[in-house]
Amino acid sequence: MQGFALYPFDPPGDIAALRTDLRDWLAANQPQSDVVARANCWASFDASFSRALGAAGYVGMTLPTQYGGSDRHPLERYVVIEELLAAGAPVGAHWIADRQTGPLILRYGSEEQRQRYLPGIAAGELYACIGLSEPGAGSDLAAVRTTARETAEGWRINGQKIWTTGAHFSHIMLALVRTEEGSERNAGLSQLLIDLDTPGITIRPIIDMAGHHDFNEVFFDDVLVPHGALVGERGQGWKQVTAELGLERSGPERYLSSHALLVALIDAAGPEPDPAITTLIGELTAEIWTLRQLSMSTAAKLAAGEDPMVEASVVKELGNAFEQDMPRRVQAIVTSGWDDENDLAKLLRALLIASPSFSLRGGTREVIRGIIARGLGLR
Amino acid sequence: MSAARDMLCDTARAVFAEAATAGIAPVEEAGFGLLLVPEENNGFGGDWGDVNAVLQIAGVIVPDLPVAELIAGEAFQPAATVSLMAGAMGRALSLSIDHVNTRQQFGRPLGKFQAVQQSLAAMACEVRAVEAAAAALASRLDAVGLDAAAADFEIAAAKLRANRAVGVVTAIAHQVHGAIGFTEEYDLHRVTVPLMRWRGAHGNDAFWAARLGRQVAGFGGRGLWEAMTARGA
Repeated sequence: MQGFALYPFDPPGDIAALRTDLRDWLAANQPQSDVVARANCWASFDASFSRALGAAGYVGMTLPTQYGGSDRHPLERYVVIEELLAAGAPVGAHWIADRQTGPLILRYGSEEQRQRYLPGIAAGELYACIGLSEPGAGSDLAAVRTTARETAEGWRINGQKIWTTGAHFSHIMLALVRTEEGSERNAGLSQLLIDLDTPGITIRPIIDMAGHHDFNEVFFDDVLVPHGALVGERGQGWKQVTAELGLERSGPERYLSSHALLVALIDAAGPEPDPAITTLIGELTAEIWTLRQLSMSTAAKLAAGEDPMVEASVVKELGNAFEQDMPRRVQAIVTSGWDDENDLAKLLRALLIASPSFSLRGGTREVIRGIIARGLGLR
Repeated sequence: MSAARDMLCDTARAVFAEAATAGIAPVEEAGFGLLLVPEENNGFGGDWGDVNAVLQIAGVIVPDLPVAELIAGEAFQPAATVSLMAGAMGRALSLSIDHVNTRQQFGRPLGKFQAVQQSLAAMACEVRAVEAAAAALASRLDAVGLDAAAADFEIAAAKLRANRAVGVVTAIAHQVHGAIGFTEEYDLHRVTVPLMRWRGAHGNDAFWAARLGRQVAGFGGRGLWEAMTARGA
């Protein structure tokens, strides 16, 4: 891996105006949600907000206009995403469809799939989930065992997915399945677009330790989907998924999803905080400023059509560490009871409990470090 | 990088290689003191992006020579030190990678052990963070016409981030090298000792954290985000 060549982040158009427009729009349209919902906001579901955001042209921004998108530059989308996250807007409903599924359908999908799904995604009305993990295939994704057999009527799917975020409100799942009988590891895998109202699908909630319902188990019992459900090339699922994960790992959500806590800390401290809190604010700011540079540079490299797998992993690793450390370091220094009801205390409690997941979602820390090690030429 | 900067870097590598044994004189003779002097004053007319590139190379090859002092004035020494640190950390990383790919233990190269891979990945993240901080600081200094006061936020953030990386980077570099890295004959100390020194030079962690923290407290919570976005991209 060569030195981190900082790709210039130079979106076209008037970025300052784009930010101002969006900030104005949010001032008028962002629901007055609870402070905890504003933290970790990419898990906050609000269908009417997603629809309004889509109508305003802020969802599916990079999709071509013929599919309902705005044909904007990926870095313009980046600016919009970081503004939404910094404001704690509830983007959870359309989040995965906008970030991953839409771009993947555009890149690998058939014309029929594009016409069928992309307009709904761009409208902020069609939600997607990612069917990757299975009970025996989490960090070891090549161990996927869910099968899809091609029959005269279509693909017949059997198996189980797990940790599927948002399956209970999603319309479609983009699933990684084994289409070649007897295939091993990362060969013989394909991606299928599955409408979740297809008979034979059972979705069961998994409640997390914060009491939230984000995850699900999804069971496929002889589920029949049309031949046209295949996305991209049969047998090329691994390659497609790997590209998809690059989109997932370097975005501003890797360091901004808990931004509300830093905001609350600064606000609670006031303009002249005591020296220890001043120091902590300075340390957290140095980190978030640096992470933003890394994330923007990686986005610029991605937008230039390159594959920043290693850089994206660096952003995820450092961003996860920052977001996990922040609540612990704040707790170590502020005087606040566990059950206090002020904003800072509520956020602190919520993020302490949520934080173990930060270095799990989107690939565990050990897997991410393994990718970086490969980039260093060690594997 | 521009062709002009590529040429500048090539020159810097050649001159610093000579200076590594001959001292600062070849660097002075090659005119690096004129790097930031405008062309109309018979200087090179470079920007901080050029300084960053040259000082990273200095951090690799001649971390003990006063190249930063030769190129930039007192107000820019904290920024210059970030560039030196980025270069030296990159050197510590490349030495570490070379070592673990070569040194055999238990019948295979150290680099094949997962524990070693994970440590070096963590180290690489820190090095990339400092490189990114140095580059972003350079962009800001150039955007404000080399006005150090207008880049105080970025100088504080970059120097503090670089300072905090020193502990991780030097610790892992020496850990994966084992005893050889602790010897005078091996090159690692040529970068790790300067890194330890630079962490405390031109403002230690406490100094910059307080300085940055006071600015941010003045911005307010939402104001921090608005300030960051207004100051770059």
